[in-house]
Amino acid sequence: MKCSYACGTAEHRIARRQFLGTLGAAAGMATGGLGMLTHPATAQHLEKSGKRILMIFMAGGLSQLESWDPKPGTDTGGPFRAIPTSVPGIHISELLPHTARQMHRLAIVRSVNINENEHGKGRYIMETGRRQEPSIDYPRLGSVAAKLLAPEDSPLPGYVHITPGGNGFSKGEAAFLGPKYGAVTLGNGQPPQNSVRPDAIPSEADVRRHQLRQRVSDHFARRRRTAETEAYTYSYEQARQLMAQREVFDVSNEPQKDLDRYGTHDFGRHCLLARRLLEKGITFVKVTHSNYDTHHENFNFHLEQLGEFDRTFATLVEDLADRGMLESTLLMVISEFGRTPRINHQFGRDHWGKAWSVLTGGCGIQPGAVVGKTNDNGTEVVDREVNGGHLFHTYLQAVGIDSHGEYDVGGRPVPLADPETEPIKELLL
Amino acid sequence: MVIRLYWLASRLARGKSGRTPSNSRLRVLLYQMVWVASLAGVCLGDDSAPLHVRVDEAIRAAYDGPMAPRSDDAEFLRRVYLDLTGSIPDVETTRLFLNDPSSDKRQQLIDRLLSSPQYARHMATVFDVMWMERRGGNRVSPDEWRRYLRDAFAKNRPLNELAGEILAADGARRGPRAAARFYLDRDAETNLLTRDVARLFFGKSLQCAQCHDHPLVDAYVQEDYYGLYAFLSRGYLVSDKNLKLDVYAEKADGDVKYQSVFMPEETHETRPHLPGQAPIDEPDLKEDERYEVPPADKVAAVPKYSRRERLGRLIAEGASRDFAENMVNRLWAMMMGRGLVEPVGWHHEDNPPSHPALLTLLTDAFVASRFDVRWFLRELAFSETYQRSSLLPEGVDPQSIPEDRFAVATLKPLTPEQLAWSMMQATGIADTRKVQVAQKFRSEDPRYDDLLNADPPRQTIKATLLDERLYTASKGDIGRFVGLFSGLPGEPEEYQANVQQALFLSNDGKLLGWLSPSHQGGQANLAARLAQLETPAAVAEELYLSILTRHPDNQERALVAELLTDQSPQDRQALLRDLAWALLTSTEFRFNH
Repeated sequence: MKCSYACGTAEHRIARRQFLGTLGAAAGMATGGLGMLTHPATAQHLEKSGKRILMIFMAGGLSQLESWDPKPGTDTGGPFRAIPTSVPGIHISELLPHTARQMHRLAIVRSVNINENEHGKGRYIMETGRRQEPSIDYPRLGSVAAKLLAPEDSPLPGYVHITPGGNGFSKGEAAFLGPKYGAVTLGNGQPPQNSVRPDAIPSEADVRRHQLRQRVSDHFARRRRTAETEAYTYSYEQARQLMAQREVFDVSNEPQKDLDRYGTHDFGRHCLLARRLLEKGITFVKVTHSNYDTHHENFNFHLEQLGEFDRTFATLVEDLADRGMLESTLLMVISEFGRTPRINHQFGRDHWGKAWSVLTGGCGIQPGAVVGKTNDNGTEVVDREVNGGHLFHTYLQAVGIDSHGEYDVGGRPVPLADPETEPIKELLL
Repeated sequence: MVIRLYWLASRLARGKSGRTPSNSRLRVLLYQMVWVASLAGVCLGDDSAPLHVRVDEAIRAAYDGPMAPRSDDAEFLRRVYLDLTGSIPDVETTRLFLNDPSSDKRQQLIDRLLSSPQYARHMATVFDVMWMERRGGNRVSPDEWRRYLRDAFAKNRPLNELAGEILAADGARRGPRAAARFYLDRDAETNLLTRDVARLFFGKSLQCAQCHDHPLVDAYVQEDYYGLYAFLSRGYLVSDKNLKLDVYAEKADGDVKYQSVFMPEETHETRPHLPGQAPIDEPDLKEDERYEVPPADKVAAVPKYSRRERLGRLIAEGASRDFAENMVNRLWAMMMGRGLVEPVGWHHEDNPPSHPALLTLLTDAFVASRFDVRWFLRELAFSETYQRSSLLPEGVDPQSIPEDRFAVATLKPLTPEQLAWSMMQATGIADTRKVQVAQKFRSEDPRYDDLLNADPPRQTIKATLLDERLYTASKGDIGRFVGLFSGLPGEPEEYQANVQQALFLSNDGKLLGWLSPSHQGGQANLAARLAQLETPAAVAEELYLSILTRHPDNQERALVAELLTDQSPQDRQALLRDLAWALLTSTEFRFNH
């Protein structure tokens, strides 16, 4: 696939001009020089901007009522109270006391309605800004960042996902951007798959075998066309560089006191690893915290899960701010959807995409902002309703990408973000 | 040839009027087709010469710069094995072929490979990847679909017939269930199907034309998009309660109306038609006579007149020049490394073929052969164009020769499947499995085995059965390669080298395990054979023949000798492992050259 971001959009811009009625002029231009008419992408500029994204994914569906949009004392509010935060007037659930103290660095969107209650579909909307369509698969935000923000020739992956479970490489997340921009999964924080030299091959032997490989390849390349063979040879070079930089993925290199501050549980270790990766130049880091799918015992589960989340997350936000990284790091805490205001007979809350909240902050985001509102008992959005598309636009704009740009997918222009929606301007700096 | 075309044209025209109302436009088109073909015949000289000769004439006529010489036997052997069977050859085959003094050994080999079970298996993979584009979905079992394709290529079914069957399929009443995978595992979504049918069967990337005429490609018009769409728009996915299957059923009504986004006030209407052709005539049935099975809840409707069946029949009858040309171009690209129209799937006036007369010639010949894929590939493989080396004469800058002249063989990255099979073949794991599979087959039923050994036709059946079992035994390993090296679902497969692949090839434990000596099933793998060889010369020979399908040159022999000097047995084994790994991961192995 060709994917010349923004410069491949020429045809459609012309098409749009025709649509707007300036037919005569456009027709004349349709044959040549279109590339020059459009303003080339700022991709090169962005590559050097050092913008990063941290996504915390609360798998299963975090309850907005036990987090960012509490409704204490109502029929839907549950047992927990709301507490004040570092921003006067903003209250969040008492389950998040540490995060409350970081509120001046964060922002809440309380009016998310994605109109979807299935895990897979909700997650798709939240990570691509679109509903699933049979005819086209859209790249996840992580792959978009890897493509548009990460340095092109880095041996380190642009999109890293830290999650409980196994190691792997989810190239499918990149959709039409190409496998290269897929997610490298660090299962339970382990270094990338196959990044360890096997014990059977000592380091001198490793050097030797690569030299031999190179020698055979050089012999082959003489008197042959080489564009594609070079890409192949280069991939080994990158693999060796990645292996050499493997310590980037090794959280045990972080000071013990930081391990203690983040918490000795998996999520603590994963967030500390996320800090390390962001510091070492990984563009997009996603950390999955599992599991919030609380159809039973919603309150006990949230007490427990958020107990783990709160201090760790707040520590991470504070560290990013202290290290001067927050201005260049966009962060978001999302789920596939929220949870029903109605409490079921097993003290659970069910899937709920209609009126819930997302937390964001850092790069490009108005600190201390609250956007949108739900009604008194949280059953409906009453102000500034947004969906996954608005959020996706906003994330892109926040890191300096024109979210109204287009990809060229095999000659067809595909908008970066859902053209039916717009960035949430009041959330952006 | 011209006569054969006339015969075909009249047959087609008769066929049409026999079954459907006469279609004069089609006859005009066929007449024109034959007329153009005869002109092309005049331009390209003797039209009684075999196709491969005329291919070479056309390539030479279009380029007078330096060309690569004929490939040597080793280069040819590796290439033709990869292209026609999907794997490099085993080392014994390589030895025999290189030592064979007969002058027609290349032709003999080509014919042998084209009738092998591996040819059918490989072609099934090629067409699976082409038509399904690595999509998941399990409405039709992927294995059933693969076997369906395999069987089609083993029988050398005419490609128009196969494609027609797939395009007509509903997954229940029309054609075998497997044929419906193209539709069913695309969720029977009409726009997606229209786009993929246009691109994969007709070579036209019409997606832009869904909403408006293509702004830059004059030939890609909305009318053609909706003409094709109309064949499919009555289709719908239903879970049939009686059949207990998902079926791509069809209603008997529903007309297609569309507007351009640029002129939303103007509504157009169209009956079905093939791209660039006039709408087809359709029977006018009374309202109460339109269904064999009327639509009902969880019952797949069956119309008396099916538009989709009509689409399939048009293809099977050869009514679409676009279809023939697209298939010719894709088969050419498979063999030669790039299409005459490049990229494939983008046939239109502003993207002309690199050799227009040649494409015409090939398409005419393919149609005249009644879409005979085996014959067509055989002709391509016989050509000097195919057999040219990828290595240029000394002093010629590779970059100075335009890629679309076919003056030097194009380097083709191995597909994920070719890479997996070839690595298994080179290291000996494939041979070990072949022996194990054959032993197990015999032990399960010795009398059946004896029966199948009795004569050549039965031996062919047995070879196919064993090859299927070999495939099953190797599926997991192939899957690991596909997982890392393939393109993405719904996208045309494209070569892309990345870090994850290199990490896998460098460090994967199982892959490296193939490089340790083993004698499973009484079969020594490559490492075990190397361990038993005493002289460095013999080691070098075995290594290069097994992995790179060629003899080592003097320099390479000297290098192996130098490395093996004064090694302890343990170091020697490690060194041989690393040498074998270096050859396996070299660019020479990674590409079909």
